[in-house]
Amino acid sequence: MTGTSTPTLHRAASVSDEADGGGRRRGPRRPPGLPWILPALVLSVGLIYYGIGYTGYISTLNWDGISPGPEHVGAHNYTRMLHDPVFWAAVRHTALFFVLTFVVQTLVGLTFAVLMHSKLKLAAIYKVIVFVPVVLAPAIMAPVFRHMFAPDGELNAVLRHIGLGDLAQPWIGQTSTALPVIMFITIWEWTGVTFVLYYAAMTQIDPSVLEAARIDGAGNLRTLRSIIWPELRGTTVALAMLGAIGALKTFDVPYLVTIGGPNYATEFLGTYIYRQTIPLSHVGYGAALSIVLLVVALLMALALQFAGREREGR
Amino acid sequence: MRLLPVFAAATLAISALAACGGNDSSESDASTATSGTVNWWGWTPTDTATANAYIAAFNQKFPDIKVNYKLVNISDWVAALRPALASGNGPDVFDMQPGAYVTQFKSFAEDQTKLAEDALGAGWKDKVAPIGISGLTATESTQDGGKLTAMSVGSVYAGMLWLNGDIFKKYNLTAPTTLDEWKHVCQVLKQNKVGCFVQGAAQEGFDQDTLQSIANSVQPGLWSKASTGDAKWTDPGIVKTLAIWKDLFDSGIMQEGAVGYQQYPDANNDFLTGKYGMIMMGTWYTQYATTKAMTAALSAAGVSGAKPFPIVPAAFPDVAGAGNTSEMYGDADFGLAISTKSKNKAAAETFVKWMATSAEGQQAIADQLNDIPSVKGVEPDFTKIELVDPATQKGPVEDLITKSGSITEPRESLLSADVQTGILAAATSVATGKSTPEDAAKALQQAAEAAGVTFK
Amino acid sequence: MFEIRSRTGRIFLQIFATVLLIPFAFPLVVMVKGAFAGEGLGNFQAVLRVPGFGRFFVNSLIIAAAVIVLVYVVTMMAAFGFAKLHIRFREVYFWLLLACLTLPEVVLLAPLFATDTKLGLYDTYWAVILPLAALQVPFAVLLTRNFINSLPDELFEAARVDGANSYRGFIYLVIPLTRPIGAAVLIFTLVAAWNDYLFPLVFLQSPDLQTITLVPQFFVGEFSNDQTKILASAVITAIPEIVAYLSLQRLFERGLSAGAIK
Repeated sequence: MTGTSTPTLHRAASVSDEADGGGRRRGPRRPPGLPWILPALVLSVGLIYYGIGYTGYISTLNWDGISPGPEHVGAHNYTRMLHDPVFWAAVRHTALFFVLTFVVQTLVGLTFAVLMHSKLKLAAIYKVIVFVPVVLAPAIMAPVFRHMFAPDGELNAVLRHIGLGDLAQPWIGQTSTALPVIMFITIWEWTGVTFVLYYAAMTQIDPSVLEAARIDGAGNLRTLRSIIWPELRGTTVALAMLGAIGALKTFDVPYLVTIGGPNYATEFLGTYIYRQTIPLSHVGYGAALSIVLLVVALLMALALQFAGREREGR
Repeated sequence: MRLLPVFAAATLAISALAACGGNDSSESDASTATSGTVNWWGWTPTDTATANAYIAAFNQKFPDIKVNYKLVNISDWVAALRPALASGNGPDVFDMQPGAYVTQFKSFAEDQTKLAEDALGAGWKDKVAPIGISGLTATESTQDGGKLTAMSVGSVYAGMLWLNGDIFKKYNLTAPTTLDEWKHVCQVLKQNKVGCFVQGAAQEGFDQDTLQSIANSVQPGLWSKASTGDAKWTDPGIVKTLAIWKDLFDSGIMQEGAVGYQQYPDANNDFLTGKYGMIMMGTWYTQYATTKAMTAALSAAGVSGAKPFPIVPAAFPDVAGAGNTSEMYGDADFGLAISTKSKNKAAAETFVKWMATSAEGQQAIADQLNDIPSVKGVEPDFTKIELVDPATQKGPVEDLITKSGSITEPRESLLSADVQTGILAAATSVATGKSTPEDAAKALQQAAEAAGVTFK
Repeated sequence: MFEIRSRTGRIFLQIFATVLLIPFAFPLVVMVKGAFAGEGLGNFQAVLRVPGFGRFFVNSLIIAAAVIVLVYVVTMMAAFGFAKLHIRFREVYFWLLLACLTLPEVVLLAPLFATDTKLGLYDTYWAVILPLAALQVPFAVLLTRNFINSLPDELFEAARVDGANSYRGFIYLVIPLTRPIGAAVLIFTLVAAWNDYLFPLVFLQSPDLQTITLVPQFFVGEFSNDQTKILASAVITAIPEIVAYLSLQRLFERGLSAGAIK
């Protein structure tokens, strides 16, 4: 029994629908499962919802985090956000960041996945190079990127070397290029996950379907567009959801590489919460920002999941 | 997915605890004045080796007190120290920086007035640098008001330039004393494909230094007045300061991409590897005048086999052309605080006394050339210190140290974190051309008012 | 996927892939080059000579191993329950769990600290292990539930007919059959636990408990910032993760392909 290979009899999508509803009709009643999920609920839900509740309470205070007897200010921290230009800038950056990093990661990840399935030489090595960034901590890579994008850093050196010296510029030192640099780093870091998931999902596509398409005279690109891509929809939706949540939580890369600058050009919700809470000691306001972030993240996740389900069709 | 640090809420936690924990000061003191274990946390000395050298010198006199130094990076300081102090298992002794940190940590620190009197006598205030006392004392009229939260170990002063002696010699240049001379120096260096001046303009602290120096050239004392609310940030003098600041960028004195640079490590590494002729650093930079520190710094910047070059201090140029010499300013670099929850207070006091008030301790600080010692009259022993090029360095360095003794203008201790953020916003918005100096000054004034500074 | 029959087509594809790979390889090259700059191998020796380095390494191993075990057990049980057992309001519970994915760590620190000190967990491994595991479980359950869904129901029904209860089904069917997705859970959990900087920084203060991610601190100070040694420590820190990924790569990919996230 232990030796059996991964069962790939059913494709995940169809089976998951079955498992969601059909269990009772098709066989003996299933044994109760609540005790089985209890440890996970206690650990994650318990711990995390406790944290959210605590933060929700703090968000109604005007508090520096030290003084005894903080002042209750009701929703003031929330209304304050409406008139805070840095908050809105952070929201704009976060949204733009999500859209662009998601699109590029999807395109590049998909391209790699297709290429690695196309009998490329050295594919094993290529795969490792694309995935290794996933395991490297951003805290560890930040100094590398600061170095690389510095005015006399490696990137400009390469540009000058290949005769593109005119393109050399202080990448993280100007408002116009700082945000794209942050996006590049994020794409570099996370495309490995996109790639691996697409790569894995592609192994589930029935080869005979592809073969049939070929016999019908469909070219490579045509096959990709009308057969492969629709088959990957579930994965794409999941990645969009994870990407949206990730974008909202983005903190480490902009904080460590550009400190949110220059002139707030790379301020994100994550970095702004940090700035308000720690260096500026506006703990109540920071908590209110955290709550807004949580709500938006949840709404995004629900919306994407919903959209994905809707369009999956039957 | 992007799992990583936001240190934030550490703050909340501790405060919650501090609020409800209560003070159980009945803890028994396990140590005596000459024996015990002292855990010391600091962001400076920034290398464990230096701290251990201090400890070794201390142990020659007090062999039975074991001191453990734990280095915590300044950027993680609040996040790590708060819970540790609140838990009661934290350090016995910790570094204290003047300004915002005094407010944050004063409730965890013992009052050291008595310790100072014990060590230096009733007239102790006349024996140490005044800047060290004022900056580390909690503001009157607040909780713990008037508490001396830490004993100053040494001070740092800024408002000056450091030059690369080799570069200036090679191109036959002298230190600039006016804005035009500064521009000229940069022109010459640029023609020779050498960087001129490097600054980490992405960080508030070092932008403030440069702005304060420009302001001191425009109108001495104006910056401090604006900091305390005695003048407005919209004062024409401040607007002019911001306009000159902008000129530094437009005329190519500031390096390309300066607003994306951090002073440490970017600007520091670039200067120490000889890519630039000048940098805005203070008296703490004196340590790199020595062969030992310079060689180590070169290797830290990733350059192998580079030859150490002499760095030379120079006054900040009179950029406003108003005939004012731009006065320097400074703060206590750090003091040593004793935790109210320490279980080894007696030993901790012995250690703090030795570091901050004893002749041997202060001499060790002086010889490190990072801080100007707190106790008056202690000076570095240049017979034991090897400078890269004593002929060009010894005179100016000694002058600098002597001059520092009389400085009274505060550097950062008058500014709250909110105002500092406002200053950074003004500096970067002007530098990137997003605001005019007038508008930036207005925004800064608003930020300061919102932060609770009252203006006359 | 693509079928390229012509030789020029294959060469073109190879070149295209290589060009696309350059931006991914470039930062890695910069990192390794930087780690060897200055004193060369001396940088690595300096990192290894940091007092207590071995201790830090072991601490990181202990924490990562404990987080992995905890996440693995809890996840397998929950995924089994969600996929193959009867739970009323199953989707509600599932979404309660998934919502935890949206939580930034910031929000956790304060309440955790308060609880840790009350329970006497502050400055113990548990203070780091529990929150790290709590944050990893939702994603791991998401992956594993789909994987177990794809195991045929007939297997479990047959076992039940043979008299096996849920517990035996779990031990004899779920555990062995989920090895591939287990590898994926292991990799993702290892990365999160090993790379974490925040929790050890805040919740562990004894030098004996520090983790390896804090090693670069020895070279980063306010007034000196030893780039080459920071990069060398980055390389050393990354090695265990890369080794783990390489040795589990095939199982990992198989796990993801059967489960994938949908």
